[in-house]
Amino acid sequence: MQKDRSIKRQLITFNRLFITGVTNLFRNAWLSVAAMAVMFVALGILLFSVVLNITTGNAITELSRSLKVSIYLEDTVADADRFVLQEALAASEYTADIEYVSKDDAQARFTESFQNDQELIEGLQLVGDDSLPASYEVSATSLDDFNEIEEIALRSDFDGTVESITLGRTDARRTIERAASAQQFITTSSVFAVLVFTIISVLIIFNTIRIAIFTRSEEIKNMKLIGATPWYIRGPFLVEASIYGVIAGVLATITVYAIVVSVGSGLASQAEFQETYELLTAPLSVVIAGVVTVLAGIVVGIFSSSLAISKYLRLKHW
Amino acid sequence: MILLDRVTKQYGKDASALERISLHVEPEEFVIIIGSSGAGKSTLLKLLTREEKQTSGKIVIGNIDYDKLRDKDIPLLRRRIGVVFQDFKLLPNKNVFENVAFALEIVGHSNKEIKHTVPRVLKVVGLDGKEKRMPPELSGGECQRVAIARAIVRQPKILIADEPTGNLDPKHAWDIIKILEKINRYGTTVLLTTHNQEIVNKLKRRVVTISDGKIISDKAHGEYS
Repeated sequence: MQKDRSIKRQLITFNRLFITGVTNLFRNAWLSVAAMAVMFVALGILLFSVVLNITTGNAITELSRSLKVSIYLEDTVADADRFVLQEALAASEYTADIEYVSKDDAQARFTESFQNDQELIEGLQLVGDDSLPASYEVSATSLDDFNEIEEIALRSDFDGTVESITLGRTDARRTIERAASAQQFITTSSVFAVLVFTIISVLIIFNTIRIAIFTRSEEIKNMKLIGATPWYIRGPFLVEASIYGVIAGVLATITVYAIVVSVGSGLASQAEFQETYELLTAPLSVVIAGVVTVLAGIVVGIFSSSLAISKYLRLKHW
Repeated sequence: MILLDRVTKQYGKDASALERISLHVEPEEFVIIIGSSGAGKSTLLKLLTREEKQTSGKIVIGNIDYDKLRDKDIPLLRRRIGVVFQDFKLLPNKNVFENVAFALEIVGHSNKEIKHTVPRVLKVVGLDGKEKRMPPELSGGECQRVAIARAIVRQPKILIADEPTGNLDPKHAWDIIKILEKINRYGTTVLLTTHNQEIVNKLKRRVVTISDGKIISDKAHGEYS
């Protein structure tokens, strides 16, 4: 019975602290808006950089999948020698997949690819149907591993087996490498921007709460004298700063998702973006992004206001 | 019961505000503490509310030994003692009802309990019908009544009134004293500090005189000397 009453009183007190926190937020309306605006920018950059990283990362993976090392074989190579090369490639940790393309398969692929270019096909028939070499098409486990695969094929014991090597389509590889550097740049610059804006947010919230403490110093003193606990005095400031985080977090999530939907719906038709767009706009992803952004806002708000409270509220000295 | 045993309060090495003060106040007593400005009256009251900590000596209120009091217990101590200040210390952005209710809000009373209790206390101090007034709309005497209502709304065993009539004209001052007497009749121990000679002489209560931080007289039915 006594415990029930105590819990009831704690709930009533929590409700009052929350209402007081909201009231204080409106009392310092302009300072609150400034604090929320900067926090909105910081959280917006944070969420947007996560979205960009996921998008570029997935696009690179998607592009890398289609990139293969083509190892062309000598026309005279015996099957036994070819199998030695195949085993060496398969044994490598850098190899993801190996496909053997026979001379006939190469011919069929070429004909299919250039079926609209009658002159090219006629030219191929002139030089002979078996003029295209057999090859191994090897996928690497990552973009950086193509050279390792090339080194296997270039070993001296495969001199009579391997005719030439092509490291994927050169233009595609260059695009992927550019995308990877862009992703690196986005990650580095967004971490820097998030840090800068988070520090600015902390400073602005710190000052907002500091001013609120000074404005209410007499009231706080009176509250102490009539028996308010430190938590009763501290609580509204923490609630106020948490609300900054909640509002800024919600607005940042809405804004970033508005950008994702408006820009992403156009890109979603391209294979390398379709999966990412579906992942980002899935209801669960939206909820997780929103909750994490809001929580990040609350953490920044509580951290900044706690700094101001510990420095200026002097609750240790009653 | 209030007990002070050889209590000393020093600010710095040589500045003694109180020197080996001993005082014993029984429950339901009405004690007036007098003395010139700077004599140590307010310091004595600040020690009782733990705004200040004694340099040496022992203070016990009820079963609370101040030497064993932890910081986290101080709010609980203050909830047991009602305090009235000369400058009222009302919350300027709250009306009469809210100022009194605030003392109940901080201890977690429900709105229902507050709506039941506050009007009764306002009636005791003669402020019924003025619940919605804001502090700037009240006279000094009315502000002090609000402060008294706030101090007694939690029904403390002890009420400390630090020169509550200091800012009031004689009529309002006497009204406040009558309210304090009424509260004392209900069973609350009252400690009153004042400069008002007329009040001291009319009340004919126990008078403790402090001078230069020492108790120089303690008379059961004292007069202003």
